[in-house]
Amino acid sequence: MAGSALRRLMAEYKQLTLNPPEGIIAGPTNEENFFEWEALITGPEGTCFEGGVFPAKLTFPPDYPLSPPKMQFTCDIFHPNIYSDGRVCISILHAPGDDPMGYESSAERWSPVQSVEKILLSVVSMLAEPNDESGANVDAAKMWREDRSEFNKIAETLVRRTLGIPLRPYRAVMANRDQS
Amino acid sequence: MRFLGISFVSFLLTSIVVANAYYQKKQFYPSVVYITKSNPSMAVLYIQAFIGVWILGKLMRKIFFGQLRTTEFEHLMERSWYAITETCLAFTVFRDDFTPKFVALFTLLLFLKSFHWLAEDRVDYMERSPVISWLFHVRILSLLLLLGALDLHFILHAYQSTVTKGASVQLVFGFEYAVLITVVINIGIKYALHSVDLNSETPWDNKAVFLLYTELVMGLIKVILYVAFVVIMVRIYTLPLFAFRPMYYTIRNFKKAFSDVILSRRAIHNMNTLYPDATPEELQAADNVCIICREEMVTASKKLPCNHIFHTSCLRSWFQRQQTCPTCRLNILRTPTPPTNNNIPGAQANQVPNAFFNVFAAAGPNPFQFQNQPNAEVGANVAPPGPPPTTSGSAATAPPAGENLGNGAGQAPPQFMFPPFPFPMPFMVPPPPPPANLAALSEEELRQLEGNERHNVEARIQCLRNIQVLLDAAVQMMQQYSVATAQQQPPQRPPEANSTNSEAANGSTPPTNHPTSSQQPGTSASSSGDAGDSKKEPPIEITSATIVNGVSESLDENSTVTAEEELRRRRLQRFLQNEQQQPN
Ligand SMILES: [Zn+2]
Ligand SMILES: [Zn+2]
Repeated sequence: MAGSALRRLMAEYKQLTLNPPEGIIAGPTNEENFFEWEALITGPEGTCFEGGVFPAKLTFPPDYPLSPPKMQFTCDIFHPNIYSDGRVCISILHAPGDDPMGYESSAERWSPVQSVEKILLSVVSMLAEPNDESGANVDAAKMWREDRSEFNKIAETLVRRTLGIPLRPYRAVMANRDQS
Repeated sequence: MRFLGISFVSFLLTSIVVANAYYQKKQFYPSVVYITKSNPSMAVLYIQAFIGVWILGKLMRKIFFGQLRTTEFEHLMERSWYAITETCLAFTVFRDDFTPKFVALFTLLLFLKSFHWLAEDRVDYMERSPVISWLFHVRILSLLLLLGALDLHFILHAYQSTVTKGASVQLVFGFEYAVLITVVINIGIKYALHSVDLNSETPWDNKAVFLLYTELVMGLIKVILYVAFVVIMVRIYTLPLFAFRPMYYTIRNFKKAFSDVILSRRAIHNMNTLYPDATPEELQAADNVCIICREEMVTASKKLPCNHIFHTSCLRSWFQRQQTCPTCRLNILRTPTPPTNNNIPGAQANQVPNAFFNVFAAAGPNPFQFQNQPNAEVGANVAPPGPPPTTSGSAATAPPAGENLGNGAGQAPPQFMFPPFPFPMPFMVPPPPPPANLAALSEEELRQLEGNERHNVEARIQCLRNIQVLLDAAVQMMQQYSVATAQQQPPQRPPEANSTNSEAANGSTPPTNHPTSSQQPGTSASSSGDAGDSKKEPPIEITSATIVNGVSESLDENSTVTAEEELRRRRLQRFLQNEQQQPN
């Protein structure tokens, strides 16, 4: 009998492929190892990350779902809750007991009730609404608070980079989309 | 590619050095002497040796592991870095022994260590991979045997060297290999557990428990080894700084394993003894999926005090991490014992005989009436234990009614089964807070407060017993009261009304003004009394004698004095029984 972690990951993968949430694709990097996943997250509409497609990798511990997975963006991303190396810092990914920032209530922490889908959805809402108290990226948090337009500009550059298109055509595309 | 280049250059240099020596001296021994006398030549040979070790390492890795995964490689690099720093620190302690042989021995140690780490990672990987080939088993088994044999050999070697030549750097090696052999044993046990799990058809519940205990025992052995090593080193040489980091981590891991075992044992004990198995009806209602493993719950599932249902095995492994409900995070170690009989009313209704409804329908409104009353009132009337009931002599004076309460369980007719409380979780009252002004207490008073001498413990137990007696008495009161109301009033509602949940029952039925004021606190407190009681005793049944007694009592609405007397007598009775049941 395969491990319970593996069975649960398989079940979640099946669920995600049958019933994918909007704007999110996720699955194992290769079918031999269900403990390394890749995810593609589209930037939420109406935010400065709109239109971007952000790749990330999820690493699951052997005792998943008793312990949370780790998540790391594999592209450049500038966000108050994401470390500069791409690691995501949100409470759902922390087990109660380890609190790197010291302010999260245990109610939002990891428990087996959570799932890959819930993690990815929280990451999407984190993209939309950064928690600028988190110190994961202090520069980004400061800029988010004090110089929103500069923040948006950087976000737009990053969005453009994830799509691999130069700035002007991208703007044209967006303008066309707005008109139609 | 770069590695290939380096090894090629190194090999070329070695050949040149050897050829040069042989060309100059023409004979074997003089050439050897020439090379060892010349520093550049020796440097080239050392580099060659190092690269030789490296190639051997690559070869062994290919044989035993095949391709390394990225995480394994990162792990290896990280650990090697620490190990190299520690080795350098160790060199400072043994600078007198600093010889090529010494360096070679440390290199060998590092070399073998890295294979231990890789084996550990690989065995952990077993749990993650859906397919484990026979090649994997052959590789792991042969590697473990090889590593174990090598470790053992070096331990024996170090031991003999220390015995014959006295303490030397061999002490460090002996200790390091002893730690490594515990690692090999640990990996071996894990491997065995994982293999058994992989080959069994059903999930193996106890694996996590075995893993936990393995961790604990191995942690203990390692801690002992480290402490012994540090003590010996301090006595013979100096403080072994290089051993501090691993020692710190070992002790920390052991501490964690220890508290994990303690807490999870408590939680699992609670689960096994206090929490009821979920009934098929409850499973149906909870859509049948265990939220931990996302698999269907068919058998072996438990219901927590918060009414959340999980697989017993899933709960067990979760409790080894944390002692909370996965869904609502109720801390189960801080929660008072749940009632064992708080089934869903609908499910309960199918099982009990008809007569039950008469009791229940009539008694229903009143218990709920008090559910929303502030706890303070309960506390004021019931919680203060007062003077502890005396034990001697009171048994003789106890009235027959009280005796019937305790002894009549066997003969009671089934239709007077006490109605279970259908409201789900009224007992989540936190334990009483400590005195708020701790700062105002003197040092002495504080010490007294937490005193752990025998009489303090005894006093605490006594206090708890008193509380239990009071709670038991309250339960008895409630039973009598509900029976009495059932006798007095004909059922006013059809039985179906009871299938609705407690909130509905609480909200929809108007409270009757029937009960006497002295009985109210008993009624509302009976829920918590039930909580404290349920783990030891089945629902208590009542004989006809007590009913008569209860009827006459509740008929006499104004005689609160009689009721209080009665209550006190019953407390004494219950107390005596408890004394008999739990000596000490
Ligand atoms: Zn389960
Ligand atoms: Zn719960």
